[in-house]
Amino acid sequence: MDQSAATTRTSGAQVRLRKLSKTYGTTAAVDDISLDVPAGVFVSLLGPSGSGKTTTLNLIAGFLTPDSGDILIDDRSVAEVPPHRRNIGMVFQSYSLFPHMTVADNVGFPLRMRSKLTRDEARKRIAEMLALVQLSHLEKRYPRQLSGGQQQRVAMARALVSRPRLLLMDEPLGALDRKLREQMQAEIRHIHRSVGTTVVYVTHDQSEALTMSDVVVVMHRARIAQIGTPRQLYEAPASAFVADFLGDSNLLPGTIAAVDGSGYAVKIGNGVFVHAAQSQLKFSAGERAYIFIRPEDMTVQPARSAQGDGPQSLAGDVTELSYHGDVFWLSVAVGQGLLKVKVAREQGGAFETGRPVRVSWSPNAARLLPLADDDLRAGERARS
Amino acid sequence: MSAAAARIGLGAAVTVILAYLIFPVVVVLAISFSSGNFLSFPPPGFSLRWYQAIAGDPEWVSALFVTLKVGSLAALLATLLGVPAAFALVRYVIPAKALLSALILCALVTPPVVTAISTYLFFVPLGLVNTIVGLACAHAVSGMPFVVINTAASLRSADRNLERAAIIHGAPPLWAIIRITLPIVSPGIIIGAILAFVHSAHELLIATFLLGGVGKPVAVKIWSGVQATSDPTIAAASAILIGLAILTFASVAAAQSLARRRSA
Amino acid sequence: MTATAQPETAAPRAPVLTLQRMMPALLLMPCLAWISFFFLLPLALMCWRSLTAEGFSLAAYSTLFTSALYAKVMLTTVKTASIATVLALSLAYPLAYALTLSGGKLRALILVFVLIPYWVDIIVRSFSWLILLGDNGIINKMLMTLGVVHTPLELLYNPFSVLVAMVQILLPLTTVILFGAMLRIDRTLIAAAKIHGAGGWQAFRTVFFPLSLPGVYGAALLVFVLSLGFYVTPALLGSPRETMIAQTIMVEANQLLDWEQASAAGFVLLVITTLIAAIYNRYFSLDRLWGGSDA
Repeated sequence: MDQSAATTRTSGAQVRLRKLSKTYGTTAAVDDISLDVPAGVFVSLLGPSGSGKTTTLNLIAGFLTPDSGDILIDDRSVAEVPPHRRNIGMVFQSYSLFPHMTVADNVGFPLRMRSKLTRDEARKRIAEMLALVQLSHLEKRYPRQLSGGQQQRVAMARALVSRPRLLLMDEPLGALDRKLREQMQAEIRHIHRSVGTTVVYVTHDQSEALTMSDVVVVMHRARIAQIGTPRQLYEAPASAFVADFLGDSNLLPGTIAAVDGSGYAVKIGNGVFVHAAQSQLKFSAGERAYIFIRPEDMTVQPARSAQGDGPQSLAGDVTELSYHGDVFWLSVAVGQGLLKVKVAREQGGAFETGRPVRVSWSPNAARLLPLADDDLRAGERARS
Repeated sequence: MSAAAARIGLGAAVTVILAYLIFPVVVVLAISFSSGNFLSFPPPGFSLRWYQAIAGDPEWVSALFVTLKVGSLAALLATLLGVPAAFALVRYVIPAKALLSALILCALVTPPVVTAISTYLFFVPLGLVNTIVGLACAHAVSGMPFVVINTAASLRSADRNLERAAIIHGAPPLWAIIRITLPIVSPGIIIGAILAFVHSAHELLIATFLLGGVGKPVAVKIWSGVQATSDPTIAAASAILIGLAILTFASVAAAQSLARRRSA
Repeated sequence: MTATAQPETAAPRAPVLTLQRMMPALLLMPCLAWISFFFLLPLALMCWRSLTAEGFSLAAYSTLFTSALYAKVMLTTVKTASIATVLALSLAYPLAYALTLSGGKLRALILVFVLIPYWVDIIVRSFSWLILLGDNGIINKMLMTLGVVHTPLELLYNPFSVLVAMVQILLPLTTVILFGAMLRIDRTLIAAAKIHGAGGWQAFRTVFFPLSLPGVYGAALLVFVLSLGFYVTPALLGSPRETMIAQTIMVEANQLLDWEQASAAGFVLLVITTLIAAIYNRYFSLDRLWGGSDA
């Protein structure tokens, strides 16, 4: 790691949200949110629009006052602290660089407002930051002369220059095109590792959250749906909402016929019985539930004849075949619904729309998810 | 009707209507430069004598100064009172916001004669009649809606995150508003202030009651002139007001392009 | 990394900084106080004055409602205002429509033509019609040179001259309001109509025009209210038969010095105007001017 990175390392703040709520009229924008973020962690607030993630961020920043609950940064409540004294750095989706100031002045702004550095020390710090984001050569330019990606990097430098222990990011890459976004994601990760501050990152893009975060908080309708590492969330979602929001999923509704040590026998439409493996979520016989299988855990073969549907396979016709460069996606209409399956590019030629195929999966690939109106009740299941 | 014919029809109608709109303005301008004595159009020849007459007439000159003083004071008051109000209306959730908006705007829809009489009756015991300050205070009320509406429009289209970016990085909120947001919003404020000024310069009825005597403003003088004489001095005075209008329009346009550059 | 259950005693809900809470009130107070003192209070006093000629009496109002003069003047006022509104809308509509169709440069040009007259004061604009419509005015001269008439037409001091001038004065504001409303109509709706078979006129009639009606009603109300209060134009260009209420009130106040009567008439006019404005507000919410309320 280069010298500049070593000198800019900060320690991160521990952030705690306690039963935070914010209501507008009769709608709750944030409903009883509690969260513990350890120091130095990169946590993403992930969810569809309206889920409350941006409101939560604005509450942490102090732009909004909670109706109830508390926010603690480093174990001290910040409820009474106005935003300009919380010592936080923030990056906005529209960059929000001051148009009448140069890049260097933009980056140096927090220093002028907050700290007691001398002119020379400030200049050194600004130079450090610009080196960190690799924009040293642009310090005399104005924001309007920079590209989107460059502006975003200046915004990051500005947010980090006063070495805040907490960095907030509000969908900062939303305005960039895909290639640039992926590049910036890697850069942000790199900067986070160099600097060490705690990051709270808001996004609606699940692949972005999975790539960048240590911890992901999935939010849905003003509440937390599930918290975990990217792997935990992807491989062990606790609800149909989380399963479907992160990555692609196949969800088949059914009723549980029997439970034993190896798993569940589930009756799905057409009277077919399918096997689902045990997981941390517990179900009992007679309950309704979803069979959940990821497309990449399924294999598909052209069917020779109408063989029976077994505990780990279903037969149906291909309704759609689409080419995505690296893979083919197939939609297969089985009696119980539509399944999405992937096949590698070389194998795509074996399939045609309208032809029968058989989709199969390994015994552990199918799991159960709660089938309920409010998918967030899932949290209670984990304890039984 | 074919699309092309419809277009031509619309174009023709629009041209006629625009001519209808602008022709009288052209007429007054032309007459003000007339070398003839009577109000005839087209004028017999070109001459600056009526402008010279006004410039040399101390009554006209003092009327112009009165208009300028009253208008500037009214615009200033309207701005000082209206800009904070616009911030409150745009930035905050307030109960009965519709009612408050109506209150601020009601001066616009009230018939001027009603305002004139009521203000006069109110000012007499206060000793505010026949004072520049008095008229300015009354004109400030009708100038305020212009300031509030235009400032609010500017504020709404400004990027609020710039102010937030300053605050979160250490700027006290008041500093952020004054140094970051206000410059962005200033074109709207300026437009509103100019409109308030122009409105005051044109206002007749309130001015007639409150300042219709010795130190009367231009509008009142023109009105009494229009009903009395028939020489083109009136036209010249009117032309001065038209010139003011054009100047105003140019400054507004300049302010708007400034706004566009600032937010780029 | 868990959503830990917190102990029941969350941090005590401290009161929000009072300055923050009071900020909107502080910002609005000067403005509202000024309006209350310099506008509302005088209006209230005017109403009071109308009721206290000698002691408390409704004499002024009874004169108002029984007098033939006032009845006639009010009728004329409402009639003139209505016709002016309809005419202004009829002319402003194509103008506003043309504005929506025009590209940048043309639109700016048309707007210049529309807006400059707005900033010339009413006296001047009415006055210019005096010159144009006179016996020696250019219109009569043109008509005579073209041989359409042989003696000058009596174009002045009648409802025609008053309306011609009024409409011209009201036109810029009407156009701007209609233009604003039309801009809010989604142009892709017209394209959708055309793609599905509507011809140009049909698309206009079935899609654009109905969507523009709320704007038309809003403009109509506003323009009507403004027309009611016109003074200069009918005074300069109309005969005594075209007298509008503002002139009568001015005579009462300025010449007859009958303040009670003037106040009563003024108050009635105010009530009418306020009612109409209240109707406008109910359907078109003045709130729209701030873009609706913010959260």
